[in-house]
Amino acid sequence: MSIFEYNGSAVVAMVGKNCFAIASDRRLGVQLQTVATDFQRVFKIHGKLYIGLSGLASDAQTLYQRLVFKHKLYQLREERDMKPETFASLVSSMLYEKRFGPYFCQPIIAGLGQDDEPFICTMDCIGAKELAKDFVVSGTASESLYGACESMYKPNMEPEELFETISQALLSSVDRDCLSGWGGYVLIVTATEVQERVLKGRMD
Amino acid sequence: MECVIGVVGRDFAVVAADTSAVQSILVHKTDEDKIMLLDSHKLMGASGEPGDRVQFTEFIQKNLHLYQFRNNMPLSTAATANFTRGELATALRKNPYSVNIILAGFDKDAGASMYYIDYIATLHKIDKGAFGYGSYFCLSLMDKLYHPDMTVEEAVDLVDKCIKEIRLRLVVAPQNFAIKIVDKDGARDYARREIGGDSPAAATTAATVATTA
Amino acid sequence: MSRRYDSRTTIFSPEGRLYQVEYAMEAIGNAGSALGILAADGVVLVGEKKVTSKLLQSSRSAEKMYKIDSHLACAVAGIMSDANILINTARLHAQRYALSYQEPIPVEQLVQSLCDTKQGYTQFGGLRPFGVSFLFAGWDKNHGFQLYMSDPSGNYGGWKAAAVGANSQAAQSMLKQDYKDGMTREEAVALALKVLSKTMDSTSLTADKLELAEVFVQPGTGEVQYQVCSPDAMGKLLAKAGLTQPAPEA
Repeated sequence: MSIFEYNGSAVVAMVGKNCFAIASDRRLGVQLQTVATDFQRVFKIHGKLYIGLSGLASDAQTLYQRLVFKHKLYQLREERDMKPETFASLVSSMLYEKRFGPYFCQPIIAGLGQDDEPFICTMDCIGAKELAKDFVVSGTASESLYGACESMYKPNMEPEELFETISQALLSSVDRDCLSGWGGYVLIVTATEVQERVLKGRMD
Repeated sequence: MECVIGVVGRDFAVVAADTSAVQSILVHKTDEDKIMLLDSHKLMGASGEPGDRVQFTEFIQKNLHLYQFRNNMPLSTAATANFTRGELATALRKNPYSVNIILAGFDKDAGASMYYIDYIATLHKIDKGAFGYGSYFCLSLMDKLYHPDMTVEEAVDLVDKCIKEIRLRLVVAPQNFAIKIVDKDGARDYARREIGGDSPAAATTAATVATTA
Repeated sequence: MSRRYDSRTTIFSPEGRLYQVEYAMEAIGNAGSALGILAADGVVLVGEKKVTSKLLQSSRSAEKMYKIDSHLACAVAGIMSDANILINTARLHAQRYALSYQEPIPVEQLVQSLCDTKQGYTQFGGLRPFGVSFLFAGWDKNHGFQLYMSDPSGNYGGWKAAAVGANSQAAQSMLKQDYKDGMTREEAVALALKVLSKTMDSTSLTADKLELAEVFVQPGTGEVQYQVCSPDAMGKLLAKAGLTQPAPEA
């Protein structure tokens, strides 16, 4: 068993028309035992920037807390929020700092940049960035997520359709993965509002 | 083998743990306290490597006291949980402590709350949970029987059912359990569940009686 | 003879004084003043800007007001370069606390930690003390809204209304006379502007010479907010208080 599969996770982000969505499952497990079904893997950095951390839950929490620390100091110093591109570089360099003792997390970063242009990207646990125009996936359900997203995704979706697509992709993917599931958590972010929805899936 | 159980009720939390000190096939004692009173309103139930458990829980307790002396105010349960997680997380990649923790507390503003913290430093707020071999029986039992707004009697009854199940189904079931509670009046002992005659203490007396007779 | 006791920060004079520390306080007495008032529903900080050249390009929204964390801000009087160092330390400390406890730092703890730093420079040799006084405005769940004042020696205290910088003595006594318990934020702003209009050296009070920052709780969300008043809004406030006209003799 890989340490990345210890807690179980599924995280996905998709780009729509002037908007993006990021979603994750809600299971916290210790191998095959389910400890909680209301776990958070998607975190807010600021109103238009979110990060989803799949992999080892403990490292996800540590990483998130350190990122908030750095981002907060940046905000105070610069008197503005960080751009998604800049933030992705920050995450990347923080991960590579621990090249030989990495955080066992695969992050997904999603945000609205200048002129509210959507930005999504993922990276491996040592910070190799991978930018995408359509969707990014990570976690123990990533294989099935690829399939679901590949067949359900279309470009330039409006927020409502995007929500439907990402939710269906997530729910159908976690059904084929033993280690993730127990509902989902979806965020739809547009220039003007953030919608937060909790999904009920197969609760078994 | 080790079992730590926790339940949050309406305005209190109950933590129960076995009281056995075991090493390989030996039971050293059956009245080892594994639930520490961190401060007046916090309970820390811990399982794991005995040395780490004692060292770590004491370290957290002392840090909490230091905070209180320095700042003239107690740390909230949430802050304590996060502090504990932080310490475990920094230790994780240096010299990890193998301790799993159920932390329960009562705050004036937030009421009763409970946190799951495992030795890898995963932190999660829960209202029912368990560690150790007992968890394989307790979690399902609690899923079935737990409901929010439980009274103290209901919660302790649930804990008793868990203990009963452990004794029935677990090969290496511990003999005795301690149950502690935390509510607005503070953290304190609540009850003990003991298998009387079979305790080693009783066994030793029996042995002495046998030799003298 | 005098050289013997004032050239070092860490040596007491025979009268039991630390000259360097007193000189630092003297330096603050020449700096633009700032005052803070504790209101029932928030804390108000007002500062006097000394440099108001049209040619100056300011990169920051406010010159004397600094946000330390979401629930905490300060106003500065004294040497700005010294202040920048201390503000960095303060921000770092606030974030370190949040990192370990995932909870905002209680206001007094932040003030205390910063004053410990200041105190260090009055005792350990070779360096001069920080020539800065601060007014801290903040909110925490234990003690609600709070206002603190600190000086270069590392002393600090909690206040209902306080002034630092030029003419702070006069401002302080005016505040003492006019402060009323349970003032609203609006009343506090009016009082602060009135006091500053009388204690400032310049003959006319204009929006570009003043800075106003407030810490308060957002009514809807219950979130603590730090807000700096824009020059436009400042102008309106001054007009409302009847302080815009240049003094008649000017």
